[in-house]
Amino acid sequence: MSAADIELVDVRKVYRKGRNAISALDGLSLHVAPGSFVVIMGPSGSGKSTLLHLVGGLDAPTAGTVRVGDAQLEQMSERGLTAWRSRHVGFIFQMYYLVPVLTAAQNIELPLLLFHMTGRERRQRVRTALDIVGLSDRTDHRPSQLSGGEEQRVAIARAIVTDPDVILADEPTGDLDARTSEEILSLLSLLHAQYGKTIVMVTHDPRGAAHGQRVVHLDKGILDRDVQNDTHAATAAAHK
Amino acid sequence: MPLQLVYLGRNLTRNPLRTLLTAAAVALPITIVVLSSAVIDGINLFLDNSGKQLRLVVVNRASIVALLPEGYRAKLEVVDARRPIHVCGQRWLGGQLPNDPRPLSTLAADVDTFPAVFPDYLLRPGELEAWQTDRQALIVGRGTATQFGWQVGDRITINPSVPPYVPLQFHVVSTAPDAVDTYTLFCRRDYIAEELKRNHYMEDRVSLFFVKCRSASDLEFYRTAIDPFFANATDETMTQDEKTFMNQFITQQFDLPRNLTILCAITVLVATLAAANTMSMNFRDRLGEYATLKSIGFGRRAILATVQAESLAVCAAGGLCGALVPYIAFTYTRLREYPVPLIQQLQIRPVVCLLAVGVALAIGLLAGAWPAWLAARLKPVDAFRALE
Ligand SMILES: Nc1ncnc2c1ncn2[C@@H]1O[C@H](COP(=O)(O)OP(=O)(O)OP(=O)(O)O)[C@@H](O)[C@H]1O
Ligand SMILES: [Mg+2]
Repeated sequence: MSAADIELVDVRKVYRKGRNAISALDGLSLHVAPGSFVVIMGPSGSGKSTLLHLVGGLDAPTAGTVRVGDAQLEQMSERGLTAWRSRHVGFIFQMYYLVPVLTAAQNIELPLLLFHMTGRERRQRVRTALDIVGLSDRTDHRPSQLSGGEEQRVAIARAIVTDPDVILADEPTGDLDARTSEEILSLLSLLHAQYGKTIVMVTHDPRGAAHGQRVVHLDKGILDRDVQNDTHAATAAAHK
Repeated sequence: MPLQLVYLGRNLTRNPLRTLLTAAAVALPITIVVLSSAVIDGINLFLDNSGKQLRLVVVNRASIVALLPEGYRAKLEVVDARRPIHVCGQRWLGGQLPNDPRPLSTLAADVDTFPAVFPDYLLRPGELEAWQTDRQALIVGRGTATQFGWQVGDRITINPSVPPYVPLQFHVVSTAPDAVDTYTLFCRRDYIAEELKRNHYMEDRVSLFFVKCRSASDLEFYRTAIDPFFANATDETMTQDEKTFMNQFITQQFDLPRNLTILCAITVLVATLAAANTMSMNFRDRLGEYATLKSIGFGRRAILATVQAESLAVCAAGGLCGALVPYIAFTYTRLREYPVPLIQQLQIRPVVCLLAVGVALAIGLLAGAWPAWLAARLKPVDAFRALE
């Protein structure tokens, strides 16, 4: 069990396309405490995904600094970032992005290939991850044989199997119906409450926001509102 | 099984038809490469044998289709009495069977000197006797004999492609089991001369003379001595050693080795393009997958290896099939006896197959290079945006 804090200082991200320059993030500063569950909201194009990509080391800021735990990301090479991601970050996407030709268990095992580990150890880890997401009975199913909610559970298991410090989820319920969404959100709350993961989740869904301890609103690349969630729905949901 | 191999295997069967067609697109050129190498090998073997025979070929300097007086033989024999030679005049007949379009390569040769000039035919005592006594004797290359199902003792009719243009009757007296040339048919020139005369054609001219020398130094001597000897005659001669003559014949008539090499290069190029196209399609289909692998923490090298491994696997499979099928066919089946014009039966050497598989791997490497590079350089963020 490990968690890291996240600190962004005056982060700018400018996308250049020919002569046009689009400012996706415009001087954003933000601190996320270790082991907290933060929800990012905001209109389309406000820079939510960009923020997540910078925190996950998938992209480099144009200016400013991004620190995750001990890692100062803007100073790292692409190679260094890739290796760092494999150990410290778990990504969850709206479209799951499972490998269609591999079974649920094999998809979850993929990230473990980057670790020095015996086969037995890997299988053990995969089994544990499957247990946590409640899919122990779907081990050998291919993604095409799973429902959307189940696919996202597999994706979550893949994200946590390496025991990362932070989990970054970009609209994880964007493609799911209300009930399935609620299940996925509860699962994320559980990961936060029970395993102490730092979670940053982008969502458009107000019900999703209720699961976070804190809701950060972005608008046009700057911090618009930063709300503490007093109801602690996240903790509540986890113990339901 | 390691997950990497499982992934590779599943990738190959993801789109079975695509994989199969790509492998086939590689297999075909590899087969062409293997067969072409065997043909070129055969030509070289034939030429090497020609080179060992200490024979010169004398033709009309004006053109290979122009004839020479048969009287030149007597003159050739006395160019230098201290260096005895055997001279065999031959006249081209070509020909076909009455009801078979396949061309034959028939030559009418001087009866008396043929065995001495072509000792590599190793005519057996009975065969030699039949050749000397039977006016209609015919020696058939064993490849041709197999092709037409002829045996010693068979009677056959050949329609010559040149005068006398009348059906000619022959008796097969030998199928030359030891000769390197498995293709050519030899009949007696005296028989043809009679037929020519009877049909009012000039019978006293030949297409070429083979001059068999006793030693390499004699061969050197005659190579340069003969042409000046006939320098001011009506028909001037051109003398070459047999290997040069045959090589020139092959390259001028067909330019086979060169054309086969060009053919191979083109088909290999086409295969590379086809395989590269497949790998690019695969890459586009799996954009999200590669982006995910990268975001999970797989580095450029791992992604590069994933794409290249698949490309190599497909092409290696195609290459193996493309090399093994002709190898097995020409080594273990009846195709082994299939005669190829001018050269021996096709012999496919294992090393050629190995080399061909190497070519297939090179195709795989080239075909996978660009998509592998793209996949390795792929920025996950861009891929995700493109897929949104
Ligand atoms: N690679 C890129 N090239 C050009 N512009 C980009 C690129 N990535 C993002 N942008 C722009 O940056 C801005 C922020 O994009 P981002 O994807 O972070 O928004 P978002 O808040 O996640 O939106 P959504 O809710 O629609 O997912 C947008 O205007 C977008 O068009
Ligand atoms: Mg987004």
